[in-house]
Amino acid sequence: MRIIVCAKHVTDSTEIRWDDERGEVVLRNLPTKISDYDRNAIEAAVVLKEQGDDVELEVVMVGGEAAVKTLKEAVAMGADKGYLVEGGWDDPFDPVRGARVLARAIEAIDDADLVMCGLVSEDGYNGITGAALAQLLERPYLAPVVGLEPGEETVRATLDLGDVLRTVETPLPCVLGIDSSMNVPRLPTVLQVMKVKGDRVGTLKLADLGLAPGALGELAGGVELAGLGSSAVERKRIVLEGAAEEAAAALVAALKEEGVL
Amino acid sequence: MAARVIVSAADVAGLRRVAEAARTLDGVERVEALALTGDDVVLAPAAAAVDEVATAVGGLADVVLACPGGGALRGDVWAAALQEAAAGGVDAVFLADAPAAREAAGRLSIALGAACASMCDEVTVDGDGALLVRRSVYGGVAAGTLRLGRSPAVCLFAAGVCEAAEAAPAPIEQRAAPAVPWDVVIVAEDTVEKTVDLPGARRVVSVGRGFQKADDLALAQPLVAALDAELGCSRPIAEDFKWLPKERLVGLTGSSVTADLYLALGISGQVQHLTGIKGARVVAAVNNDPKAPIVRNADYIIQADLYKVIPALVAALGGAS
Ligand SMILES: Cc1cc2nc3c(=O)[nH]c(=O)nc-3n(C[C@H](O)[C@H](O)[C@H](O)COP(=O)(O)OP(=O)(O)OC[C@H]3O[C@@H](n4cnc5c(N)ncnc54)[C@H](O)[C@@H]3O)c2cc1C
Repeated sequence: MRIIVCAKHVTDSTEIRWDDERGEVVLRNLPTKISDYDRNAIEAAVVLKEQGDDVELEVVMVGGEAAVKTLKEAVAMGADKGYLVEGGWDDPFDPVRGARVLARAIEAIDDADLVMCGLVSEDGYNGITGAALAQLLERPYLAPVVGLEPGEETVRATLDLGDVLRTVETPLPCVLGIDSSMNVPRLPTVLQVMKVKGDRVGTLKLADLGLAPGALGELAGGVELAGLGSSAVERKRIVLEGAAEEAAAALVAALKEEGVL
Repeated sequence: MAARVIVSAADVAGLRRVAEAARTLDGVERVEALALTGDDVVLAPAAAAVDEVATAVGGLADVVLACPGGGALRGDVWAAALQEAAAGGVDAVFLADAPAAREAAGRLSIALGAACASMCDEVTVDGDGALLVRRSVYGGVAAGTLRLGRSPAVCLFAAGVCEAAEAAPAPIEQRAAPAVPWDVVIVAEDTVEKTVDLPGARRVVSVGRGFQKADDLALAQPLVAALDAELGCSRPIAEDFKWLPKERLVGLTGSSVTADLYLALGISGQVQHLTGIKGARVVAAVNNDPKAPIVRNADYIIQADLYKVIPALVAALGGAS
């Protein structure tokens, strides 16, 4: 069985700050990483590889030079090979374009029985890419996957739909959106990452995807970020002083005053 | 210019919400509500009859398009139904967020060559007739405005509330069942017992990594009881340590609260957590670090050891009642 996991190179979302004075989001010079939810997708795929006899596992990532390190980390989790699609962009708000590039990359690498994605991405949080990819590749999409059992010609997956856990079966090939609650992703050691040599990371240029330079614009879904503002809720920030008993009594009094007790 | 808008959702409340968003949009002439019907059941999971749907969108939608293929709601079937409904030309499709709705939105955006936006809180029209979407971005760090420069646009709305209207039911039009070229067979189905309602709770007491071990969470129990609150938690508690089930998680990957009181115990208040408590009326926090972000994002702060403060709070509440 062949598996391709789509993993995204993102800015660490816990480091992103809103700069009130400048009225902008500070994104420069921040650490980058594999999008959290894609680590769950890679983990699920690595588990299948460990359990199966003949599973080939590849990771595809879009991005520039900076993404090579991230890709190696992804491969070090247990993939056979990783592919970096060059010609990167960093627009988290256009999942349609992302899906169009990934679909071409998957076709260029050689098709897979299972294409696996994280349910959402850490930066865009759209939750659209997997489904758009399934539509482009013309195959079923199962999500949010919390249990997985691939067969010869079909795959069985348990989906967490909030009020029901539904187990479904659909023919291969198919696309899966992996829920973050499915597993706890392994952390590759520095040594494991270092051991990922050049022959385990390939690059795909836009030409390999049958795209002329500048064609990325044509793939765009027509979504642009037109404005940003603070999302902070103004709070009173009253610090209650004193020993524990005193402060506790003051809080209870304040909450009564607020009418919430 | 969004003259014709198709709206759809997995439940009646969601359908009302997107129908209202469409009806109040500048320049909209026609709103069509698409409902997937099962045997005689439409809209999973909150099964309702087609008449009920028609009543729910009365005054908002011009017509209810009833499409066989529902029952167990499938995103692929849904997308196909929407695509057929859009055949005559459509300017926007509004969907309410749900797992199947995300699949429908992703598929439909490709099928229609549409611009697609998720997590929409509010949609308006700019001077050129393009849709402007308000949504939170970068995990809640900022509020963003996205411009959808292409028609049609597919907008996936975040969960929200919408009052029921008193109006005549919308007329119902029966449509043919859409076809999908593969089977997705249901092998088993288990209903999940919901014992936790964080979004609906009036008071929430939430625990974070300030608690040193699982057993220590018991300390918070008397406080939860005294406040008649629901227990919530931060992500490390639910996902890394698994001390509490994920349904108690508050924040970006968990639930958003609308409580009158949110009490954060030993929670630092990272953006991903704060996103989930924006809707709380009063936020109180116990944290021994004066520099923790929660301090700037709470109304009342006790800067002390939670192991000492919690018993004192229980005593103060007991003495007060
Ligand atoms: C993509 C993504 C999504 C995420 N989604 C969520 C989400 O939905 N919800 C969520 O909560 N997090 C989420 N996170 C994680 C988030 O960034 C933080 O890591 C997390 O909220 C921290 O949890 P915490 O406050 O319990 O722990 P910490 O940040 O470790 O904070 C513990 C706090 O307890 C205080 N403390 C310690 N001891 C005591 C004591 N004795 N008395 C009083 N105070 C004490 C400390 O001062 C500290 O402020 C997400 C992260 C990512 C990357």
